[in-house]
Amino acid sequence: MSQPSQSKQLGYFAAAFSAGGLLSLMVLFNGTLAAYGSLFFASWVPHLTGTFAALLFLMILRPKRSESARPPFWVYLGGISGGVTVMLTSATLNSALALSGTIALGLAGQMVFSLFADMRGLLGLPQRTPTARDYLALSFIIAGSLILIFFGSGT
Amino acid sequence: MIWFAALAILAGVLVSLSRQINGRLALSTSAMESSFWNHFVGLVFITFIALLFGGLFAGEPLASPWWAYLGGTVGVIFIAAGSWLITRIGAAQTALLIIAGQMISGVILDMIMGAPGDLWARALGVGLILAGMWVAQGGKSRA
Repeated sequence: MSQPSQSKQLGYFAAAFSAGGLLSLMVLFNGTLAAYGSLFFASWVPHLTGTFAALLFLMILRPKRSESARPPFWVYLGGISGGVTVMLTSATLNSALALSGTIALGLAGQMVFSLFADMRGLLGLPQRTPTARDYLALSFIIAGSLILIFFGSGT
Repeated sequence: MIWFAALAILAGVLVSLSRQINGRLALSTSAMESSFWNHFVGLVFITFIALLFGGLFAGEPLASPWWAYLGGTVGVIFIAAGSWLITRIGAAQTALLIIAGQMISGVILDMIMGAPGDLWARALGVGLILAGMWVAQGGKSRA
């Protein structure tokens, strides 16, 4: 893989790890909404409040736009992919897979497709070939995750 | 069963695909603008689906605690972070480290909230994840 400097790399790793913490909070908040309302509601509300929050952040931060050229239209469709994810998981949660099976298989799908996308440089993102060390790290993290998913909680 | 398994795997693929699409948009605009479009387009899509199926306001959504409504704001930062990271460290490392962070913070949240769980399994799982992160980082220092 193309290597950014080590300190930058550490910063990216820390940011991604922290983003995972945000994801846990998000799951807790949205899951609580789903416990009171419908699954649609638990996805609709965060998209609604998120739209306004993003507008507010944009007005405050005023990030610099990297290109003036128009990107292809499909780059705006990431939200649909996310919406379909909610519908799929709401179906599998109520199947024999339950929560642990849904999360575990989701992790598998996510990792395999991410590796494939990196190797091919899909969707106009930088191409990179994972190293043996990347696969070793992946094995450790996925093994630990599977133990937590299936044995680490009471669910 | 096999069909549900396929759907669960597809859901994971879509998580990654969505992050890649948002990352591509961030390349042309900015991570926060990409997060805005993700939420806005997702909102339109879910509104449409909910109108089609009905039941959006079923249950007692107003009875939920106020903090449960903070998920969207956290999500905006999360999606922006993912779009920013995927263009810098790639899809696989972004996914892997987000998973590591989610798993370990999940254990911490579970323990704070007193959720039942096996202590040894938790220790082993967290240990393996930390080891994996150490391996990933070690690879970079020697490159």
